[in-house]
Amino acid sequence: MFGSLASLQPRQLAAQVLNFALVLSTAFMLWKGLSVFADSSSPIVVVLSGSMEPAFQRGDLLFLWNRGQETQVGEVVVYNVRGKDIPIVHRVIQRFGGGSTPLQLLTKGDNNAADDTELYARGQSYLDRSQDVIGSVVGYVPFVGYVTILLSEYPWLKTAMLVFMALTVVLQRE
Amino acid sequence: MHNTLTRVQNVFGFFTSVAFAAAAAIAISVLLSPQAPTASLELRSVQVVKGRPHYYSTKREEYAHIKFDLDADLTTLFNWNTKQIFLYITASYPSSDPSTIPPSEAVIWDAIIPSNYAPWHQNTYIHPTPKATTKVKKTAKKGKKEIGKAYPAGAQPGIIKLDGQKPKYQITDVSSKIADRSNATLTLHWNIQPWVGALVWTNTKTVGRWQGLQGGEAKFNFPPLKGTEVKKDELKTETGGERNRGSPA
Repeated sequence: MFGSLASLQPRQLAAQVLNFALVLSTAFMLWKGLSVFADSSSPIVVVLSGSMEPAFQRGDLLFLWNRGQETQVGEVVVYNVRGKDIPIVHRVIQRFGGGSTPLQLLTKGDNNAADDTELYARGQSYLDRSQDVIGSVVGYVPFVGYVTILLSEYPWLKTAMLVFMALTVVLQRE
Repeated sequence: MHNTLTRVQNVFGFFTSVAFAAAAAIAISVLLSPQAPTASLELRSVQVVKGRPHYYSTKREEYAHIKFDLDADLTTLFNWNTKQIFLYITASYPSSDPSTIPPSEAVIWDAIIPSNYAPWHQNTYIHPTPKATTKVKKTAKKGKKEIGKAYPAGAQPGIIKLDGQKPKYQITDVSSKIADRSNATLTLHWNIQPWVGALVWTNTKTVGRWQGLQGGEAKFNFPPLKGTEVKKDELKTETGGERNRGSPA
């Protein structure tokens, strides 16, 4: 295998590397373009916990939309707890304010008996729509995101996948 | 090896393309399924008491306990792409400055009604049997036949008949005062969870084959604060089927 690599001209090798970089950057730009379109820092999320069962199971892929600032009760929002980087997918059960004042939301997971007040940061009783919420769920595809859960729980899978992808790109150009 | 690899890649590529196209077709085809939901929602009683309604309440605040009657026919909302319907009833009331701040809204009751094809889950709604017939005991051990359904006996998913239903949540206002507020509205909403595709919320206006919801609204006023004459068991809430009962997950 490495013999075939060595026989490549430098120009061909450069073309290979450039192709690979182009694939990566196209994927990256598609992601960022979707982020701008949906006005969300993370427009596609994977459900990580079972707190919204049976609506969303672990591994479901959610599409977010962040351009609707007047979030209504009953919408499913994804938010970050202040100070932490864990996105939580729960349903809005109360709203106060909006209009000229900041919109305050209280959320609760469908499969949780208690609302999320205990999950919020210390001293925080409500979410601020403009600051804490990443987006509101508008569509979903089941199971597809389970791959990312496997990748995070078994780190060796990540390296194995990268090696496999690199091999296929290199070997195909014979 | 080159040939096998190409074949596997081609098959896998074709599989993903077909799966994607099928999912898109299913998601878009729900627009063709006609809907005609109807509901009749009435307020049974509302009481405003002072106390500690939430597990995290550090001081006493005013909270409202709202009982209602509901008679709904949502069977047409269930189509081939419906996994479940999240039904919820909210109480909304004007804010302190109605010209610039929209009304506040809070959920008092919710229910998850699965379609007949959805796998059983502990968190689904169990429709109470009408008081006229004998009560069906729920045994969690033996078989699914003895577990209550999300609709009355002999009906389909989407039929709800509730009489004097206790709320699941007591509602409070952020200012801790909820007594004597007028122009409040009790409204029925739903959120249709598909097997794949877009989530859909209540539509009151007709869109193509989907007729808007007829009924499902009741206007009321919050009464003045009641004293100690309200019994404790009148203020009990309904327990849902949620699995995580302690701290939220």
